[in-house]
Amino acid sequence: MTTSVVPPVPKRGFGYWLKKHFFSTWLNSVITVLFGALLIWMCVKLSNWAIFDAIWTVDNKEHCGHGAGACWAVIQDRGRLILFGLYPYEEQWRSTLACLIVILTIGLSCLPSLWSIKKLPTLWVIGFGAFVLLMRGGFAGLPLVTSEQWGGLSLTIFIFSAVFVLGMPLAVVFALARRSSLPVIAKGTGLFIDLVRSLPLLTILFAAAVVVPLLVPDWLEGNKLGRVVVAFAVFFAVYQAEIIRAGLQSTSQGQNEAAAALGMPYWSLVVDILLPQAFRNTLPSTINQAVITFKETSIVTIIGFFEVMASGNAAIGGGEWTEQFVEVYVFLALVYFVFVFGLSRYGAWLENRMRVGHA
Amino acid sequence: MLTKLMKLATVASLAFATATSAQAQDEGVLGEIKARDSLLCTGHNGSYLGFAEVDAQGEWQGFDIEMCRALATAILGSPDKAQIIPISWAQRFPAIQSGDIDVIIKVTGWTMTRDTELGLQYSRPYFIGPFYVMSRSDLGAQSISDLDGGVFCVNAGTTVERVLADYMETNGIEYQPLAFEKGEELRAALYAGRCDAIAGFGPFLSSTRVNAPNPDDFTIIGDVIKLEPEGIVVRQGEDDFLDVINWMVTALLLAEENGITSENVDEIKANPPSATVERLLGVTPGVGTRLGLQDDWAYNVIKTVGNYGQIYDRTIGDGSRYKLPRGLNNLWNNGGLLYPLVLD
Amino acid sequence: MTKLFTSQKFRRTAVQVLFVAVVAMFILATIIVGRTNIADQGIATGFGFLNQTTGWPVSFSLTDVGPRSTYTQVLFAGLLNTMLVGFMTLIFATVLGLLLALMRISSNSLMKLVGTTYVEVFRNVPVILQVFFWYAILTHFPGPRQAYSLADMAFFSNRGLMLPAPSLSGLDVAIFLIGCVAIGFGLKSFKPKKSGLRLPLAILAAVALFGVLLLTGREADVPLWSVPELKGLRFVGGVSLKPEFSALLIGLTLFGASYIGEIIRGGLISVDKGKLEAGSALGMSPFQINRYIRIPLAFRAMLPSLSNQYIWLMKGTTVGIAIGYPDYFAIVSTSINQSGQTMELLALLMGGFIVVNYSIGFAMNLLNTRLKLKGRS
Repeated sequence: MTTSVVPPVPKRGFGYWLKKHFFSTWLNSVITVLFGALLIWMCVKLSNWAIFDAIWTVDNKEHCGHGAGACWAVIQDRGRLILFGLYPYEEQWRSTLACLIVILTIGLSCLPSLWSIKKLPTLWVIGFGAFVLLMRGGFAGLPLVTSEQWGGLSLTIFIFSAVFVLGMPLAVVFALARRSSLPVIAKGTGLFIDLVRSLPLLTILFAAAVVVPLLVPDWLEGNKLGRVVVAFAVFFAVYQAEIIRAGLQSTSQGQNEAAAALGMPYWSLVVDILLPQAFRNTLPSTINQAVITFKETSIVTIIGFFEVMASGNAAIGGGEWTEQFVEVYVFLALVYFVFVFGLSRYGAWLENRMRVGHA
Repeated sequence: MLTKLMKLATVASLAFATATSAQAQDEGVLGEIKARDSLLCTGHNGSYLGFAEVDAQGEWQGFDIEMCRALATAILGSPDKAQIIPISWAQRFPAIQSGDIDVIIKVTGWTMTRDTELGLQYSRPYFIGPFYVMSRSDLGAQSISDLDGGVFCVNAGTTVERVLADYMETNGIEYQPLAFEKGEELRAALYAGRCDAIAGFGPFLSSTRVNAPNPDDFTIIGDVIKLEPEGIVVRQGEDDFLDVINWMVTALLLAEENGITSENVDEIKANPPSATVERLLGVTPGVGTRLGLQDDWAYNVIKTVGNYGQIYDRTIGDGSRYKLPRGLNNLWNNGGLLYPLVLD
Repeated sequence: MTKLFTSQKFRRTAVQVLFVAVVAMFILATIIVGRTNIADQGIATGFGFLNQTTGWPVSFSLTDVGPRSTYTQVLFAGLLNTMLVGFMTLIFATVLGLLLALMRISSNSLMKLVGTTYVEVFRNVPVILQVFFWYAILTHFPGPRQAYSLADMAFFSNRGLMLPAPSLSGLDVAIFLIGCVAIGFGLKSFKPKKSGLRLPLAILAAVALFGVLLLTGREADVPLWSVPELKGLRFVGGVSLKPEFSALLIGLTLFGASYIGEIIRGGLISVDKGKLEAGSALGMSPFQINRYIRIPLAFRAMLPSLSNQYIWLMKGTTVGIAIGYPDYFAIVSTSINQSGQTMELLALLMGGFIVVNYSIGFAMNLLNTRLKLKGRS
């Protein structure tokens, strides 16, 4: 009797790779074929619609909508309205420049060499300040453009960065207060944080827009945009505070004791030792929170601001381009996607890098 | 923060200036407007076609916006001093109660609740809005009762919501209501065919129709559901400000009645045909000081913004895309309901 | 005296007293300023308006409300609308999320690719934009007269999806729901010999109850099933899913699923491989391993993030206002505009959401503790 031993299949080559990833079992094969066909069909349809059959210029507008592909002419015609909203037409270069400054600031703060408790806030204050000065103008021959006229992408970016700049210090305060050894302060802050977290952002912004002016004296009122930004920052801060708190909890207790043994004052312990570690440990969650915040800026359209979402709706609301809603929404989605996807990829990369670092 | 500082600085410097010139200080919101040197007026959160809309350059246009500009000119001398704040229908009352805006010029119907319970005050009507229903032409409806069971779309939080409910109940017509917060959404839903009809006041319906991809798809039905006088709204107790607004409206109408336009106002000022026109244009003093304004305020308004007819024509009338007939919003001697008060 | 100030205990107490005092003063100042501002402007205050009739209709509600309803009734209808769309979103998003998670951890690379693409696309676009998009899509279908129909029983048009429905009154539905809950509780104490019998028994009981209600609960000449039928401008009979509701539900579900999918995936990955291998060493089938080992363990790990996500989704229903769905926020917003009672209505708005979200948090916590007691990992 002879036993025949099957020679082992070589575990490399295209065939093996295909088998392992796509056809390992009969069920997998069926799924692969079905999904593959569906995917190819969708890709063909989509690229025909978006590229090959698309109409790109306003001159060809009359061809739009008659079974042809996407009508990108709407973006050519209304693109500036979508991106700049109510901002004065001749001054829109300022809005562009201001946006670039903030994008540069975001880019720079992704560089690990700038991560220090002094450098990062300075960078943001400068970047944000430059943004506001440029947008507002009123000096050196630049006409004054008040915040009521801000709109489009720059308003979205303004709200996002202002919320970030105001919310971050507030979050640190909330986090420290919630971890305070004084029970009343810890409980009080905890109650506040939980309360705000259970409310929809929209109701908070709505309250800030319409109710706060009735509750505070005139001199504290500010304008509507200011109030909404502050309220948004508080909302951001309660979420971010929980993230920072988790980061603080992950630092080892021994460090506190060591600092106490060395006679370090509390603030020095917090600023020099605990916070840097807490931020570093929770960087991925922080970026995730930033991503969510960026997306949620679109909510302010409901309470009457002309950010990019609202100006996109204004572009199709006029009747002339009503049928091109898909194109405008896809364009808006791409605008958001570029920012959000970029940020979240960065977050994932960072998470990976940190995991490797710890191993 | 920056805005705040700027505002403080402006207020402080102006306060100083007025104090030193020993002028009579204005009370209330009129004083605030002068100190701020801008009038905070209502826009829309999006476009309310013909009345407050944003053009491709991002500029505010429309009848209500022009009214804001006229008021700003009357008080501050320049139409550019009207600061337009984008605001939704639902937010207009909280916004004025809280002082976010000085005045509501947003085709706001004069109702008892608003007048009494909201702490507001109305000017004399500056626009007469008949409420109509506009339906899709392919339904072939001749009257509103033909639309029995249909979907009626309206702007959320407006008087139309109530007026329509009232009319339908009175006439025993069934309907499915659908309310939208923003004009854009309402229009998009109508054009897409989500609504069988929309209800609203005439000019809004016409402008919505003109803006449709194919205007013939929509027909305005002849039945008037209700006539609504639209007023300009200020906070309770702002009597001086309300005086200015009422006489601003009168000046616009008086100018039209006397054939004074922005083009010929200089000639007429040089050669006033009557004592009333003389007073109106500030040739003889009194028209301004009694309101706490400059004597040439009406002249400025007519010169920069135009008379009532010109504003109408430019924004919603023959000179605009909408080509709305004047109808009830004509002067009394042309078959309309509008009339100037007596300027003596 | 100096001893008192340097005393740790005194300082701690003093700081806390100061904290409370500042907060109390802040609240007090707000109330005082608010009262004066409101009084100055002659705005009517108080909750008396809740008993007035609204005078305006609500486009969609589970309860019967109309222009003659009071503000209380209309607000309650709005809260129900929010909860309806919210809870349905939670259920659908969880199911879809589970599917996505399984795709992303599957051994088939194509499935992985599809899952990943889905998550990246839907997670990185604001939910309000997605809702706008679906609403525009749904309203661009043909009108009711050109509706797509399925054997003249179900219709789909830009007025929504019309389905045939059993002729049950609201009371019947309520009885049915209560009955189902009762059956559930009854079965808990009832222990048949074969444990596999419990679920079929429960379903049988529910079906029986449904049948009895359907046969007895209606007028004599009403047909058993009400079928939608085009009469004039609208469909009469059956149940309808309005586009506003559907768009909000689809948008929130697809968006929520991308997040929930990631949470579930994280949970599934976190299950120790050794436990799965132990399962297969014991001769369990892949289904049994998933059912008895992987999912229960993963569920425990992901519960906290899941409950956060649920609360978030519930809050996300407020974007309904943008497409004309009368959720609680939209109803409150309209009420504010029609009645002018800004402060009171805003307090009710916040109160409503706090109650709903605290209930979700409470339920999830309960679940968490129950699961925790069973195992130790």
